[in-house]
Amino acid sequence: MKQITMTAALGLALLGTPCALQAAAEGGTIASKVEELGKMSYLKVTDMRAVKRDGLLRIQVTISNTDNSNQQLYYRFRWLDDDGFTVWDEEAWKPEIIYGLQKKVIQAVSPTFKATDFRLELQSPKNEGAPFSGSNPPGGITNQ
Amino acid sequence: MSLIRKPQALLLPALLALSLSACQTTSPTAAGDGSVSYGDARAVETVTTDLGSTDIQMIAEKMTQSLLQTPEIRNAIKKRELLMASPVKNKTSEYFDTRLITDTILTQLQKNGVKYVIEGEDMQNQVDELRRQNQSGLYKKSKSVKMGNMQGAKYRLDGSISSIVKKGSNVKDVYYKMNLRLIEIESGVVEWSEEKEIRKSAKR
Repeated sequence: MKQITMTAALGLALLGTPCALQAAAEGGTIASKVEELGKMSYLKVTDMRAVKRDGLLRIQVTISNTDNSNQQLYYRFRWLDDDGFTVWDEEAWKPEIIYGLQKKVIQAVSPTFKATDFRLELQSPKNEGAPFSGSNPPGGITNQ
Repeated sequence: MSLIRKPQALLLPALLALSLSACQTTSPTAAGDGSVSYGDARAVETVTTDLGSTDIQMIAEKMTQSLLQTPEIRNAIKKRELLMASPVKNKTSEYFDTRLITDTILTQLQKNGVKYVIEGEDMQNQVDELRRQNQSGLYKKSKSVKMGNMQGAKYRLDGSISSIVKKGSNVKDVYYKMNLRLIEIESGVVEWSEEKEIRKSAKR
């Protein structure tokens, strides 16, 4: 994972308003934008692009499943300003199925014009050493 | 005598303090048997295949994100043009209040500077208050609002949510589709539309 994050260039295509995204691009690695709730065993963030267009931050993330079987992913974005303050309420966790060996593209647009930076929170139930096990999503409510 | 009494006098308050401290807890909770707890309102809810909080949140989020990208909404923010939400039709087999979705969308748009006007059930309260201030004779004229100054919306949101339910011998599959449109009221032209699909399955 580390190798991928280090080598895969964070394709922050700073089109439109390069200055506004300069802060977001700081660090310049996928790792600086991704917060995994436990290290993911099979799912890897292999590409990430961000652009500010019409005042809104647009994100595209590619998640690759390195396993043959389907993997459940839970994700959400946290929207920040230049100073690192959150500028929007906590987003809902979103479930996503990534098929075996699939490369899934997730897209998001900031829900506010104030966002200049972001963090992507990821959790996969089959994470190694994840604080959640089985089919429980983060703080999830499941049918017992 | 006084020397003997002193330790006894100290012992009673000390015992009281000890017994009280045994009941104290650092948890800021009221008495309860522990069967009720608070969860994360943003968590993925998979209790049943019925439309739930996660579905509502995902639908509202996608619609807001899509709406914010439209030139009509950007212009509405700049020119202070007004928006309203017509009741979304619930065509699913379940009962739920579709205002859960439109209220969230309107709130999120409003945080971005979009102004919207009230309609439907909120309208009665508005009319009642206008009448009370103007017709009850209870209010000073200089300190009451005027009738006839309400503003009409330029755009309205309208849509529907439908579902297809399939049941096998050991599986239940539900497909939801929410459609939302932005309509210019004067012309009736649909300026924007968006869909959100959700599939939920459960073992029976």
